[in-house]
Amino acid sequence: MNLLAFAARRLAGAAVLLVLLSAAVFAATAVLPGDAVSAVAGVDASEAQRAEVRAGLGLDRPAAERYADWAAGAVRGDLGNGFVGERPVTDVLATRLPNSLLLAGLTLAVTAPLAALLGLWTGLRGGGADRVVSTSAQILAAVPEFVVAALLVAVLAVWLEVLPRVSVIPLGGTPLDAPHALVLPVLTLSAVGLAVATRLLRASVADAAATPYCEAARLNGVRGVRLAVRHILPNAAGPAVQALTLTTGALVGSAVVVENVFDYPGIGRELQLAVAARDVPMVQGIATALVAVMLVVLLLGDICARLLGAREGDDR
Amino acid sequence: MSRQIDRRAFLRRGAAGAAALAVGPGLLAACSTDGTDSARKPGSGSSHRSGGTLRAAFVGGGASETLDFFNGPSALDLVRARAWHGTLGNLDPSGPDGVRYGVLKGIDISDDLSAYTLHVRPGVRFTDGSELTSADILHSLSGLAAKSKLPVYRLAAANFDLARARAEGDLKVVLPTLRPIADGRLILCQGNFLVVKDGTRDFREGMPSCGPFRLTEFAAGQGSAFERYDDHYGHVPHLDGLELRSIADSTARAGALTGGEIDFAHDLSPVTARTLADDAKAELAPTKSPYLVGLSFQLNMSAKPFDDPRVREAFKLAVDREAMVKTVFYGNAEIGNDLPSIGFPDYADGIPQRAHDPERARELLQEAGADGMKVRLTTGPETPGMVETATLFVEDLKKIGVRASVRELPAGQLYADFPAYSALPLAGSYQMPIPALSTYQMNTAGGSPSAFGWKKSGTDALVARARAESDQARAKKLGTRAQRTRWEEGNQVLPVFKPNLNARAKGVDGIPDDLFEQFPGFSRASLA
Repeated sequence: MNLLAFAARRLAGAAVLLVLLSAAVFAATAVLPGDAVSAVAGVDASEAQRAEVRAGLGLDRPAAERYADWAAGAVRGDLGNGFVGERPVTDVLATRLPNSLLLAGLTLAVTAPLAALLGLWTGLRGGGADRVVSTSAQILAAVPEFVVAALLVAVLAVWLEVLPRVSVIPLGGTPLDAPHALVLPVLTLSAVGLAVATRLLRASVADAAATPYCEAARLNGVRGVRLAVRHILPNAAGPAVQALTLTTGALVGSAVVVENVFDYPGIGRELQLAVAARDVPMVQGIATALVAVMLVVLLLGDICARLLGAREGDDR
Repeated sequence: MSRQIDRRAFLRRGAAGAAALAVGPGLLAACSTDGTDSARKPGSGSSHRSGGTLRAAFVGGGASETLDFFNGPSALDLVRARAWHGTLGNLDPSGPDGVRYGVLKGIDISDDLSAYTLHVRPGVRFTDGSELTSADILHSLSGLAAKSKLPVYRLAAANFDLARARAEGDLKVVLPTLRPIADGRLILCQGNFLVVKDGTRDFREGMPSCGPFRLTEFAAGQGSAFERYDDHYGHVPHLDGLELRSIADSTARAGALTGGEIDFAHDLSPVTARTLADDAKAELAPTKSPYLVGLSFQLNMSAKPFDDPRVREAFKLAVDREAMVKTVFYGNAEIGNDLPSIGFPDYADGIPQRAHDPERARELLQEAGADGMKVRLTTGPETPGMVETATLFVEDLKKIGVRASVRELPAGQLYADFPAYSALPLAGSYQMPIPALSTYQMNTAGGSPSAFGWKKSGTDALVARARAESDQARAKKLGTRAQRTRWEEGNQVLPVFKPNLNARAKGVDGIPDDLFEQFPGFSRASLA
């Protein structure tokens, strides 16, 4: 099957999945205890005021009806307005989602080549270097993000004073207007991602290096970089690519800790705020957009893996 | 600690609203009438550079931040509006009526307490050159505030018939009361009644207004920028410009302050504030009374054994208030006396401070047959220090033989699920700074759900009489009697009042001069 057909099939599947997941997100907001009334009307509103606000927000209608309304709007590109502050959800996505994509993209750009390098080196070399790198990677993968962030801040911002402590971005600008503010968030996220990807790659490199065809290549005089890049990497990268795409996709919406610590204007914190305020349209819009991003990233990952030589028959 | 909730500021603001005082700055209007202006010039003796742009950081509300402060629940929404719009007035204990007027010259009260006449200060101009008249005030009050869902504005709606307000000529607005009240100035001049131009429906950059600054840029969840309005009535700001940023995390706000990226950080957590103590570039500037937030525990009288006054008293005697102030707030807080609204004129300061007496508490529990009782205290991280204080309270309760435990809900949930909240046997909550009697009427009287089973028509009537009493000494006496009942039999344990732990760069001055410190104003601020 050619690549185009494969992508088309997967896209169609993703669309169906998106609809199902958006319904699941909606159901989840419906079972969360509480609603947005307290966020809008205040804690001490009387019963009558609560009922009025609830009706004003449309929360007195059945959940299925509200979902149908939302879905009808969403198909036309209208994700509604948030309950709190009444800002259009698409506005919020338009300003915050690109920042999160940028953060995830930069993290991937740092992580992928470094992980390939370290994975190949340790997987092929073994010995003392392998043990040192593997153990460090294991430790790094186990350290919570906020600890990594705090350490980086302590060293780079407080002690050496080479980087700003928080990402103060010029008003109306994007993170690209203050590139130095991106360094700490990207480093923090990369540290954990790098550790995991290195471990994965090391294992599959070691496997690939032990295969008969590698042995044959070696016997034919292929060595060093050429052996690693031409013969081992393509065969070893499959699982690591999948793992990287998964972490990168997840980064888009779940870098909340890093967004908070460095005050980075990403979408994760908006989602967290919306959940706390029980702002259903905002939660629904952001979560659905994140699901869509994740599905696209997974598709790209599959295409990459396929290009890297997944078997023909494997066309799930 | 990031506490969006802080965001939850909405509560704060709400409440505050209620309580609060207002926007002070602009308001300084009063100067012309009460002559306090010269007295308020910042920092006599020190020299202040005129100009510069002050950068301040707040928790913010993310994408839900809005320019429409009548519908924006985050604290920053109100701070931004205070910089941008004129105000009716702010609470000012040193002012003649207990307030400092803004776009008003004064407020007269009819003898029968049935109507308030607001006198517009002549010569106040909007940024488009037009003069502020009664129509603008009327629109802001009965067009916008009356329709607001925020608790702040509900306090006014509970006391005044906003819909029936009317203009008399260009310089007078008459506002009927719903029942006779003598303390209405404290409600109208709490700082959150801001005035926009007649006909305003949408709030956007570039719309004319009459506050100390004009808005030049706004990005929700990120920040806003202002420049000085040179034709501002009464008092033109020292600053050339102002930048208000949203930085949700307390540590990040402190980091931006010590890193020189901002000049003022709002509402830090007690621990973060402590880390600034030795910093050469920054200093703490906690808000002063009455701008203190009460941390409280509500005992649900509809649930056994809290229907027994002896059990309620035991819980009040069990708290080691000193320890809370020292351990949670490192001394940066005041001890509470189980009554809200410390520092307001109607607060009953004549009632003796409740002692810490675990022995007596244990005896009371035994008398009530409640020794060894089991109870779970539910709370959430809605404002810094809340969960820590609850944890200490539970330890105090264990010492008098109560099998107590604490349950911390995720941020936002405590109040989001309101029916569950008001049914809790024991809930940890917080109280915004609002005058004592009006807040009682709004939140506690008539068996309101947030009263947790307190229903005493006698006390309700006493509060109503106190508020309808023009003679201040008699009003105070009646108000104190009502609060004494709450102190003796009430179901609220309020051990600590905490300030907003703000911090500023060394040399920044004049922010408290703008009053309504909870939502700081910058019209009198200056940089070093």
